[in-house]
Amino acid sequence: MTETGDDADRDDTILEARTLRKAFSDTIAVDDVSVSIKRGEFFSLVGPSGCGKTTTLRMLAGLTTPTDGTVHIDGVEITDRPARERDTHLVFQDLVLFPHMSVADNVGYGLARQGVPADERDHRVSALLETVNLDGQGDRRPTELSGGQRQRVALARGLAPEPSVLLLDEPLSSLDRKLRQEMQAELRRVQRDIGTTFLYVTHDQDAAMSMSDRVAVMANGRIIESGAPESLYDQPKTAFVADFLGDANILAGTVTAVTDEAVTVAVGTGRIRAEPGGRSPAVDTRVVVMVRPEAVELGGGPLSATVYASEFKGFYDRYTVALGNDETSMVTVRTDANERFTVGDSVKMSLTNATLVAPGDGTTTATESSEPTVASGVRAGDDADDHDRNDDCARSQLGERAARIRDE
Amino acid sequence: MSTAPSFRAIFEDRTTRDTLLAAVPATLAVALGVIPLCLLLIESFRPLVTTTNYLDVTKGIYVAVITQSLFVGVLLTVVCLAIAYPVTYWLANRCPARYRLPVLALLTLPLWLNYVVLNYTWVWLLAPDGVLNVALEWAGVVSKPLALLGRPFELPGVGLTVPSLSLLAGFIHIYLPYLLLTMYVSMERLDYRLVEAARDLGAGDFRVFRDVIVPETAAGAVAGLLIVYARIAGAYATPRILGSESNPMVAELITTQFYDVLDYPFASALSMSFLAIVVVGFAVGARVDNVQSELKRW
Repeated sequence: MTETGDDADRDDTILEARTLRKAFSDTIAVDDVSVSIKRGEFFSLVGPSGCGKTTTLRMLAGLTTPTDGTVHIDGVEITDRPARERDTHLVFQDLVLFPHMSVADNVGYGLARQGVPADERDHRVSALLETVNLDGQGDRRPTELSGGQRQRVALARGLAPEPSVLLLDEPLSSLDRKLRQEMQAELRRVQRDIGTTFLYVTHDQDAAMSMSDRVAVMANGRIIESGAPESLYDQPKTAFVADFLGDANILAGTVTAVTDEAVTVAVGTGRIRAEPGGRSPAVDTRVVVMVRPEAVELGGGPLSATVYASEFKGFYDRYTVALGNDETSMVTVRTDANERFTVGDSVKMSLTNATLVAPGDGTTTATESSEPTVASGVRAGDDADDHDRNDDCARSQLGERAARIRDE
Repeated sequence: MSTAPSFRAIFEDRTTRDTLLAAVPATLAVALGVIPLCLLLIESFRPLVTTTNYLDVTKGIYVAVITQSLFVGVLLTVVCLAIAYPVTYWLANRCPARYRLPVLALLTLPLWLNYVVLNYTWVWLLAPDGVLNVALEWAGVVSKPLALLGRPFELPGVGLTVPSLSLLAGFIHIYLPYLLLTMYVSMERLDYRLVEAARDLGAGDFRVFRDVIVPETAAGAVAGLLIVYARIAGAYATPRILGSESNPMVAELITTQFYDVLDYPFASALSMSFLAIVVVGFAVGARVDNVQSELKRW
């Protein structure tokens, strides 16, 4: 496939990683990751902390040596080239601006190392500072800038030498929510204006989905699924991805009927019509169905449910209901704030856009061991990505959830 | 009976208590430091009041000894820094974390030994019948012992002398640990990702050193330099044991004036002059904010 891949396809691909693996002394941080990123694309690698995404990024940047696998940029293999000889630049999580240099010197550092003459450098630096809305700030020190301004400097520093691919390692994670959203829009704008290929690593699935052309979801050092944000959100292939990319109702049930375009699944006391999602289960097998909360409607429909809990969320209400009376099949629902239900009510309910997904992250089947697959990635992360340890608990919850799904 | 509660009352007042507590060290400092220094200053103007002693200091041979001493101080400090940079960089960034403390302890081991003993180990190693010469002769590399002790090398034209191999070795052995400690502290605080960022943007080893490591650790290096250079320039025992008689350093000169010539006023003037030079150097270096905060660690 390496030599015979058709030319049009190869020209379109700027960065390609094949079967990348990174083993540390006692853990495997990245296991068999292959990605291929198109020229000018905004690609996000998203996953819980410790899933190996930062290690993957560092291998692409040349700061970590892969145990196995290759990296190609523009069709040229660069696996063994050190960072300084690679046409990629990394925007670090904590930015790491050079504190003793002015903003302009920071931004111009890569250009200076390329041997760009001083006057051309000044010109390009000031043009770039304008692009990131920092015109006239070139003489200041990074320490004199606000958090958002420092982000812009880091972005400009990475972009200045015009890399083939700009690698971004959660550069927005230190900002507060409002500023982060502003900077996300800004990043997307700059990326569109300049046309540089961005590879963005984050644990924030909302950011990934709102900015990216394509998203790859990682867990346990592997890419679970990748694709356009909409298709990953609407038609995930695994329960893990469904859950990771937003609120998801994951229901276990038994297939009662199969037609060409739909599968009927018995969940609790009800029957749900689901899209097969590329799967072809036989009647009477156990399957897992995913329904987004916004695709559930209360107050009408073929299913009956009991309201167990309600939460006021501002412009919507969130209810937890059980199908029939079955406490093992809880569903969360979002409704307009003008429809109100009380806990204990029996209501009619309809589900749309349900789809079959693989349990867990798709690597084990429901019949295999009940050990949580997600949790095995915990150790890897502690050694590998030392800066994103903070939401271990989110990860273990996901693991528990995945395990629970299989147990049912 | 009646004084006891009043004592307690006095001691409960914070200001008074602090004053009392500070009094002891303050008295010691004045008695052991300030008063002798004042006496030395007065002595240097004897017979009162004359500046002849200071005029004598500016004579060629004495100026030469002071310059030579400062030169040795600066030279050795630079050599020690040149050693300390790569060693501490390796220790802070490359050495496996569990070996860091043991290695640092080993490197600074000379601090725990008496420096006269350290000096004599070099005599034992480098003397004509010392370990090195015996080994070289036994191996047939040399037919007669090499003169490794006290053979300085004069720099033509500038009137300065590079000290002998033995003196260099002795000084490095004693003073390198101080620089290793100050530099290690700086290196440990150096954010290694700055190095990675510079490499990522295309910097080679030299650029990384120049653009990241030096600016980020300069304060520690200057602090170490200030601590070490005056001690080397004013050293007495090491040049006495490992140096050459033809090339005395300032402390030896002062000692001779005190104990052999018994010219106390001139010896005092010499001491005060050297002290003034060192203090000025220190003050210049310590004006930098970052260096000040480094020095406060000592």
